[in-house]
Amino acid sequence: MIKTHNLTKIFQDKKRGKIVAVNDVSIQCRPGRIFGLLGLNGAGKTTLMRLLATSLKPTSGTAEVNGNDILTQPEKVKANIGFLSGDTGLYPRLTAEEIVRYFARLNGMKEEKIDQRINEIFERFDMNGFKNRKIDKLSQGMKQKVSIARTVVHDPDVLILDEPTLGLDVITSRNIIEFVKDSQKRNKCVMFSTHIMHEAEKLCDDIAIIHKGKILDVATLEEYRKKTNITDLDNIFVKIIGE
Amino acid sequence: MNLKKVKIVYLKEMLDTLRDRRTLISMILVPILLFPVLMFGMSSLVLVFVKKAEEKPARVTILGKENAPHLSSKLSQSEKLTMVEEEDFENAIREKKIEAALVFSESFEKRIENEDTAQAVIYYDMAEIKSDMAVEKIGNLLRDYEDSVVSHRLEKREIKKSLLHPVNIKKENVAPKEKMGGLMLSMFLPYMIIILALTGAMYPAIDLTAGEKERGTMETILVSPVTRGELALGKFFCVMTASVITAVLATLSMGLSAGLGFAQMNPFTPENAQLSIKFTSILIILILFLPISALFSSLLLSLSLFAKSYKEAQSYITPLMIVVIMPAMISFMPGVELNWILALVPIVNVSLALKEVLLGTYNFGFIALIFLSTLIYASFSIFITRRLFEKEQVLFRT
Repeated sequence: MIKTHNLTKIFQDKKRGKIVAVNDVSIQCRPGRIFGLLGLNGAGKTTLMRLLATSLKPTSGTAEVNGNDILTQPEKVKANIGFLSGDTGLYPRLTAEEIVRYFARLNGMKEEKIDQRINEIFERFDMNGFKNRKIDKLSQGMKQKVSIARTVVHDPDVLILDEPTLGLDVITSRNIIEFVKDSQKRNKCVMFSTHIMHEAEKLCDDIAIIHKGKILDVATLEEYRKKTNITDLDNIFVKIIGE
Repeated sequence: MNLKKVKIVYLKEMLDTLRDRRTLISMILVPILLFPVLMFGMSSLVLVFVKKAEEKPARVTILGKENAPHLSSKLSQSEKLTMVEEEDFENAIREKKIEAALVFSESFEKRIENEDTAQAVIYYDMAEIKSDMAVEKIGNLLRDYEDSVVSHRLEKREIKKSLLHPVNIKKENVAPKEKMGGLMLSMFLPYMIIILALTGAMYPAIDLTAGEKERGTMETILVSPVTRGELALGKFFCVMTASVITAVLATLSMGLSAGLGFAQMNPFTPENAQLSIKFTSILIILILFLPISALFSSLLLSLSLFAKSYKEAQSYITPLMIVVIMPAMISFMPGVELNWILALVPIVNVSLALKEVLLGTYNFGFIALIFLSTLIYASFSIFITRRLFEKEQVLFRT
């Protein structure tokens, strides 16, 4: 469960001055649902997600992840989330298993439990063939699987996925989509950002439209269609952001 | 701060670092090979070339042979010289056809016979090493000749040659052998060890910060349940380990090269110098090494954390290299000794202390003060590094 309360982030840029990247955002994502964050590039999706993952600190407002406050309990928040984005790289000189084990250890898991979990995940994502291969020797699809394994090794209740399919080929993005659907079935709370409309259409239960740091609306696809009398999400999006 | 997590980060960073070829070269290969190469290899190589040039006879033109027929024929029989006939000898020297020319003044041998002074002029090119060597060879032969003339003159007057040398000056070196060896080592070793401590830590420091940003792994670790402080410390200990390993290997390699007699094989080493280092000296060197390694590691981490990429980090570190090299070079300066003020100047203090330890003239008060002051500088620097890890402007500077 994610709840944000008037979450705001302002950056000071030398050239452009004050930038309100996230503006007074109050949203809720519930377990067993996929919450889509739809916005143009630079709309504030990544900043919002980084705030939730505590890698950035808000200028004002706060948020809770599974009841843990991002300001006062950042370590508990991080233990409850799995965060995946195009920017979360892997250590090229470590093997697939070493990486997953490292993050499991940082999550405070016991060695026995780690072994068990690694077997389970590597089986589930069909990764045993390259378990002991170094990351820089893996294909893009294999790397993506390692990233997913890294994200879920501690079995977090909340998944924050920032444009996870960005720049991936069809097969690799399909892996991700499958993984998102599977997580929903496991009653996880999934926040998923994208600027690809059909991805949001296919996956998301709730869709938040974010523009220039502000959440303009949150609704299901059906509700949007009723409100706007438009069927296509592309057109709904353009109408709501008013450009 | 959870020390268990610091350990997890540290172990992972060590594993990662030990698989990086660049780090392995600067951390292991360079310190092991540097001292044997420096002590024995380089100078011997120079000597081989010098010896070769010395053995080769010098090409010389003699002018005014008619003024000194006996001496001229004697010189032309010498194995050290080869006679070459050149009219325009100055040009011939410049064009490297000959190394030198010898000109006997008018009635040279006649004046000698009359017990007068005669003149011989050697023409050469001072900017050419071979020409310079030729002058030495000709000079030695002429001095031998002069000696025999003097002996002959004295004999004629029945005067003993020892009459000319009433005082016999002799120098006796009372320095213990270790000190003689220490003197040589103490000049360049502190400098070398300090620089190696820095270069050994350089690649891991860049790799664990700017390198992580470049590969996109920084964001991955920041969203994991580890605090910035734990992360900073884990990385810091890894970089410091690299620095200490470099220094330990350098010290061992130096001790071994000395022990195996590499230095004695080096013809430039003074005859009675013994390059042995006492166990306590090595121990003190290593103890002094810990705080300076810590200082370097945290400085390097801070600088490279600020950088966006590997390249940018390298350009930040270059000025740091200069800032470290200058004070480290104080060990080369003769007569600079530790005092209570210098003992507080970072890097200068360690360089001077290492020098004194190698000379065997150290004072435990200074060593303790230097250890403590460097430890304080290092702690402050680590504190800054930790603070930088908290700053999102630094971590997300892309």
